[in-house]
Amino acid sequence: MDSAVTAEAELVVQLQQGSEAAFRTLVEQYQDRIYRVVFSLLRSPEEAEDVAQEVFVEVHQTIGRFRGEASLSTWLYRLATSRALKNLRRARAKKRFAYFTSLLGFGNEVLHEAPTHAHPLALLEGQQQLGLLLEHIARLPGQQQVAFTLRHEQELSYEQIAAVLNTTVPAVESLLFRARKTLRERVQPNFRHD
Amino acid sequence: MTKPDFRPAADEAWDALLRQLPHQPQARPRPFFYGRVQARLAAQASAARPLVPGWLRRPAFAALLGALVLSLSGDCAAGGTAAGAAGPVYAAPPMPPR
Repeated sequence: MDSAVTAEAELVVQLQQGSEAAFRTLVEQYQDRIYRVVFSLLRSPEEAEDVAQEVFVEVHQTIGRFRGEASLSTWLYRLATSRALKNLRRARAKKRFAYFTSLLGFGNEVLHEAPTHAHPLALLEGQQQLGLLLEHIARLPGQQQVAFTLRHEQELSYEQIAAVLNTTVPAVESLLFRARKTLRERVQPNFRHD
Repeated sequence: MTKPDFRPAADEAWDALLRQLPHQPQARPRPFFYGRVQARLAAQASAARPLVPGWLRRPAFAALLGALVLSLSGDCAAGGTAAGAAGPVYAAPPMPPR
């Protein structure tokens, strides 16, 4: 058995026994990865912090039910992406509702676009394309957005993405194909051909 | 919708753009993340802890406790009221001489 797998199994046993030291190890080992994946979906440091904390709180509360069908990292990614998607859906519903009420004249408040925490790189000269791409990634349907982000930003394999999304590799390929097609159609007309 | 330009140069530009994605500066949580997770766990635990013991939150036990408090209150006010409502009150017989 691989030593990493053994170490992970030992960590899970200790977590299930309620070891605080094991929980600290888990948080410190995965906090960057979990924060990064949530941030890449939400693009807001405050929301990413909040969701990442929620993920670890959920792990603490439900580790007893973890049966090891998936690896610990897959389980963590699954919790993180589903919570991030829930936040995204809530934000989109809120935006739609605000737009609808503004059309009917119920709300007098001016509709503001949510701040797009544009990546510092995207602000630099010659990085507009990256900024535009990030903007369009945020507009993809939830599953496509998760698959695309896990593949192209977190560099997970197709198998890992399928495990996180609890689906098959062909389904991931299909999600990625549609995501890339949509993004290319939206971003490419803006390419400059010098 | 305009058809995307699928010329080789455009392919290269697209691939180059995708290759930039994993090389963005990595976002990281603020320092002392573990401390904040612990604080959140503690806050949730204290919010979940009830102010009254579990057995007291059962109606039967609460009613039993209420009845016990009334019966031990000393002046039997509740008992007297109940007796008054049930019928006339007769005077106690005089005490026999010593």
